[in-house]
Amino acid sequence: MSAELVRVKIDERDVHVPKGTGIVETALAAGIEIPVFCYEPRLGDPVGACRMCLVEVEGMPKLQTGCTLTAQDGMIVKTARTSEKAAAGQNGTLEFILVNHPLDCPVCDKGGECPLQDLTFRYGPGNTRMSYEKLTFEKPIPISPTISLDRERCILCYRCTRFSSDVSEDGQLVAANRGAMSVITTFEDVPYTGAFTGNVTELCPVGALLPTQYRFEGRPWEIVDVPTVCGLCPVGCNINATVRETKVKRILSRNHPEIDEGWICDKGRFAFTHLRAEDRLTQPLQRTRRHGLEEVTWEAAIDEAERLLRAAQGRIVTALSGSETVEQAYALGKLLRAGLGSHQAMLPEEVSGALDGYRLPLSAIRDADAVVVLGDVPVAERAPVVDLWIKSARRKGARILDSADEVGDAERVVLIWSGPGGRGGATVAKLAEKLTLAGREGCGAFYLPTTPNGRGVADAWAACCDDESDEPDSIGLLVVSGDEAAADPNVRALAEQAEATIVLSMFGGLSAGWADLVLPGTSYLERDGTFVNLEGRLQRLRATVTPPCPDELHWIAELAARFDVDVAPYAAAVFAEVSEKVYDGLSFGEVGESAPLRGYPDAAVRVDRPSLPESQAKPGKTEIRLVAYKPLFSGAAVERVTELQFQRPQPEVELSAEDAGWRNIETGDLVTVGSNGNAITLPARVNRRLGKGIARVAIEHANGLGGIVELARAAEEVSA
Amino acid sequence: MPEQKVLLAGTDKHDLTKLAEYQAIGGYGKGLERARAMTSEELIDELQRATLRGRGGAGFPMGRKASLIDRKSSKPKYLVVNADESEPGAFKDRQVMAEVPHRLIEGCLIAAHAIESTSVFIYIRGEYLTEYEILQGAVDEARAAGLFGGVEITVHRGAGAYICGEETALLESLEGKRGQPRPRPPFPPIQGLYYAPTQINNVCTIATVPTILTIGAEEFAKTGVPSSPGTAIFSISGNVVRPGNYELPLGTPMRELIYEHAGGIANGRELKAVIPGGSSVPALTPDQIDVPLDYDSLGAIGTFFGAASLIVVDDRCCMVQLALRSTKFYAHESCGKCTPCRVGTRWMVQILESIENGTATRADLDLLDSVGDNILGKVLCALGEFAVYPVASYLHKWRDEFVAHVEQGGCPFHGSSSLEGILAPSDQHAHAEVLV
Repeated sequence: MSAELVRVKIDERDVHVPKGTGIVETALAAGIEIPVFCYEPRLGDPVGACRMCLVEVEGMPKLQTGCTLTAQDGMIVKTARTSEKAAAGQNGTLEFILVNHPLDCPVCDKGGECPLQDLTFRYGPGNTRMSYEKLTFEKPIPISPTISLDRERCILCYRCTRFSSDVSEDGQLVAANRGAMSVITTFEDVPYTGAFTGNVTELCPVGALLPTQYRFEGRPWEIVDVPTVCGLCPVGCNINATVRETKVKRILSRNHPEIDEGWICDKGRFAFTHLRAEDRLTQPLQRTRRHGLEEVTWEAAIDEAERLLRAAQGRIVTALSGSETVEQAYALGKLLRAGLGSHQAMLPEEVSGALDGYRLPLSAIRDADAVVVLGDVPVAERAPVVDLWIKSARRKGARILDSADEVGDAERVVLIWSGPGGRGGATVAKLAEKLTLAGREGCGAFYLPTTPNGRGVADAWAACCDDESDEPDSIGLLVVSGDEAAADPNVRALAEQAEATIVLSMFGGLSAGWADLVLPGTSYLERDGTFVNLEGRLQRLRATVTPPCPDELHWIAELAARFDVDVAPYAAAVFAEVSEKVYDGLSFGEVGESAPLRGYPDAAVRVDRPSLPESQAKPGKTEIRLVAYKPLFSGAAVERVTELQFQRPQPEVELSAEDAGWRNIETGDLVTVGSNGNAITLPARVNRRLGKGIARVAIEHANGLGGIVELARAAEEVSA
Repeated sequence: MPEQKVLLAGTDKHDLTKLAEYQAIGGYGKGLERARAMTSEELIDELQRATLRGRGGAGFPMGRKASLIDRKSSKPKYLVVNADESEPGAFKDRQVMAEVPHRLIEGCLIAAHAIESTSVFIYIRGEYLTEYEILQGAVDEARAAGLFGGVEITVHRGAGAYICGEETALLESLEGKRGQPRPRPPFPPIQGLYYAPTQINNVCTIATVPTILTIGAEEFAKTGVPSSPGTAIFSISGNVVRPGNYELPLGTPMRELIYEHAGGIANGRELKAVIPGGSSVPALTPDQIDVPLDYDSLGAIGTFFGAASLIVVDDRCCMVQLALRSTKFYAHESCGKCTPCRVGTRWMVQILESIENGTATRADLDLLDSVGDNILGKVLCALGEFAVYPVASYLHKWRDEFVAHVEQGGCPFHGSSSLEGILAPSDQHAHAEVLV
C-alpha cells in the first residue's frame, strides 16, 4: 500500500510526500505550520470554510486553501511565511474572524487554551478597524444540561455540526439561518442528546461550546491535566483529568489512535462529579445492635474486619465488581485465598480468554471490509466508542452485518459480540474459528463486556493462588467489592444467606440495609493501578486526585499483615508481583501512558463462578424475547450526576417493525409486556433495525422482566 | 440588428407550452433524432464545434464541460439544469421555461445522451411557481408521449436561496442538505451530485442545444461573434423606456440594445451607469456603452457578460444608495459558510450605511476598499466577490460622489434619488433588518 511519492516545494523547501497528502500535512512534513480553524481530519472531508489556511500556489491565480488542496508532483506552494499575497489573505481572514468576536478572553473559560487566542497572538493584527456595532446574541444558551453555547464567540467553523452529522451521525447539531445571522443550534431547541455530545466542546476552536460543569471553574495556569484511563466502561478511553486544587474539574480526551481517536462518551466526560456525591462515604460504617450503621474509626473498622474474617473460618465468598484495578483484585485475592483459603469469588459476568487469539486494536474495525455485530444490546450502550468505529467503517464502505452468514468473500472481517450472554467471548470465538479468522490480517473479534476491568480482575484473582476449595455449605462471610457488585440483586440475594457481610462501597445508599461493615471505596480517578480493556490491552490508571479516604490497597495491606500475608500498599509493588505471573514481568513504568496492545500468553483466566445461565431460548412464533439491557447512562456514578439525568433512557419498549406490524402497534402506543403475572406497561418504539422476536427495554424500566414474555397492545384506557 | 429568435423561436405564433404545437414547428424532431443517432463522442464533438458558451454567467463552453465528464465511471452520470435564476436583473430563464419548456426538455434529452446520463434534474427557483407548473406540465406531457427514451427528468423546486444558484450549493441542496458551496476540486464533472460525475448547465444553454443539433454546429456558429456564437436573451431593466427580454445575436452593441430595442432612457433623463450582467458585476460609465455584448468584449473592459442582464441607471441615482442596496442583498444571501463573505458583507453594509448617513470619514472609503480586497479571491465561491465587484466599481468610478457624502455629512441627493425599478429594496426580505 505504498502510495506514489511526489515532490512538493513549500517555502523553498523540498519535501516528498505520498500523492494526495493534504497541503497542511505536506507543509508540516517540511516543518512549516499552516494555521487552521475549521480543518480537522477526523471529521471527514475538509470544507474550506474558515479560510485561515490560504496559500499561494504557482500557476493558480487565486489563493488556495491548504486544507482542501492535495499534493501533486512539482507543485510549488508559498505559505504566508514567504508570500505577501498569502500573508495578506491570512491577515484579512483573521481580521474577519475577530470582527464580531467579543474578545472577552479575560472571562472566557477557553482563554489560555484557545486556538483562536493562540493564532491571534501569533498572526493577528495589533489593532482593530472595526468601529461599528458587533453582532450580539443571547448567551449563554444551554444546548443541553451539559453544554453551553456562546454564539458571539462562535466563528462558524462547522466543526461541531460536522461531528454531529459525520462522526456521531446523530444529526442533531445544525446551523440555522444564513450569512452573518448563521447560528449553531439544535432542531426546535431540543437538548443535544446522545452518547458523544461532549466531544464538540473539545472540537470547538474558540470558547463557544463549553462544558457547563467547567464554567468559571478554573484558569489554565491553575490546573494540571493528569493523564489516565477512563474506568466507566470496557473501552478504556485515554483521558486527561483536569485537576485544580485537589479536585477533578473536567475530563478531556487524550487521543489514543488505536482505542478512541480522541473521542470519549458523555458518561466518561461528565460523570466525574460523582466523586463529590452527597452520599460519598469517607468513614467506615459498622452495624450496631441499636442504631444500625454507625461511623467508626478506621482502626476499629480494620479490627472488625479482622474479626469477621476470622469468624468465617474460610467460608468466605467474594463478590467482585470487575471495576477493581488489577492490583486491588490481586491484593484482595491474596489476602482471602493465600491467607484464608477462601477461593470462592464471583464476577457480574463471565470472563473468558477465548478471544486472545483474535486480538486487534479497535481501530482495525474502521479498516474492515465486513463488520458483523452480534447480540441484541446496542453497542453504544455497552462500549460507546466502539459504535463510532463501526460508523466510521460503514462510511469507509464496510458492510455492517448482523449475521456471519453474509460475510461472503470479505477479506478483513471483524466480529463484535454485544450481549446479552456470549460467555465472556467464548461464543464469538467459536464463530471466529469457524470463519478461520485467526492470524488473518485485519481480522479479529471483540466481546463487549459489561464490566470495565473484568478481564484484569479475573487475571489477577487467578494469579494469587493455585489452590481450590469446595464450595462451602454455608456462607460465613460475604465480601462485596465495589458498587457494581453492591447494586447487583444476585449479590444481595447471597447477602441474605450470609452470616455476615462486608461491603466496599463509595456511596452510603447502596449498602445501608444489609451490610455489617461498610468500608469506603475509591473511584477510578483516585486510583493508581492497571486496567485491561476489551481489546485485552493493559493500561495505566493514575490517582488524579487524593481520595477522601485511604485507598483500598492501603487497608488491605494492613489487614493482610494481621494474617501474615505480605501485600504491598503500593500499586507498583503489587503490579510487579502480578506481572511476574501474568504480564511477562512487565514493570509498572513500562505499561505506558499510551499503551500498546501486547499479548500475554500466560494470562490464566479463571473465574470460579460462572454467571447466571443465559436465556438463549428461541422465542415461539408469537412470543417475544425481552432484552433488558444496562444503559450507558446508568449505574452508581451516573445516578449521582444531576446534569446527566436527561440522558437516561426513556421508559419505552423497543420492538421490531415486524412484531409491531401484525400487532398493529405504532411508536407511542402503550404496550404491556409480561410473564408469570409480572407485567409492565410502557410506550412502544418501533425500531427497524431490531430483529424479529426481540424487544428491548432499559433494565431500570424492566421491573425484573427478561427472557420470553408476552407482549400486546395495552387495553384501551377508559376515558374519564 | 433586429431581434433574432433561436431560443424563443416560434413563440410569436404558437403556444409552445403545448407539446403538439412544439412538435408542429419541428420540436423533438430532427435535432433529437440526429443526436440519438450519434455516439456520445460524436455528440460532444458536435457541441464542442458549436462553441456554445454557458449562459449562466461564467461562459464556459458547454461542449467542453460535457467532455470533462468521467463517462467511464461506474457511477451514474447526472445532468443538472440550473434554473435557480436569482440574480437581480435577470429574468431570461423565466421566459424560456414559461414559453418554450419543451425546448428546454429536448435540450435535456440531447445533453443527457451526450454524457450517457439517464437522470436529469431541473433545479428551479422556488419563487417561480407559474414557471414550475408550466415546466412540470410539459415534462409530464413529454414523458407520457414516450419521448424520454429511458431518461427521467425531475423538476425540483428550490426554497428561496440565491446561493443555490451556485452550482455546488445547488448540488448540496438537491441532495437535501443545507445549500452551501463545496470546495473545488473535486469539480462536479468528476464528483458532483451524490459523488457522481455531474454536468451542470444553465436553462438557456440547454435550451439552445436542440437548435445546434437541428441546424448543425457550423450553421449555428454563423450567428453572433466567433468567440461567442449564437444568440442570448438579454434582460434589460431599470430606467429605460421598454424594459424586458430581447433575444439578440451575441456581439450586438450595448448602445443598440439600450437606445433602439429598449427605447432609451425613460423620462428624458441622462444615462449615468449600466450594470451589464446582473447586479453582481462592475458597472460601466456612459462612455463605455459602445461595447459589443459578448463575453470577451465585456471582459476586456473589466466587467462580465454575466447573466446577460442589463440594469440601466439614470442620473437621479445615488451610487452610495445603489451600493448599499446591492450589498444588503448579498449580505442577506451570503450562506454563512466561509468567513470573508459572511463577515465582510455585513461589515460593508455597515460602512456604506455610515457613508450614506454622513457619519463616515475619508478613511472609511479606504476601509470599504480594503474590506472588499480582503474578500476578493479569498472566498469559497463567487458570491462574496459578487458583493464586492459592483461596490468597488462604484467607489472607483464615482468616487467624487462618495467623497461628497463624507464632506457634506450626508447624501447630496437628499432622498430625491430614485432607485425605483433598479434594484428591489432588500428590506423586503424577512430578517434583513436584524442583520445590522
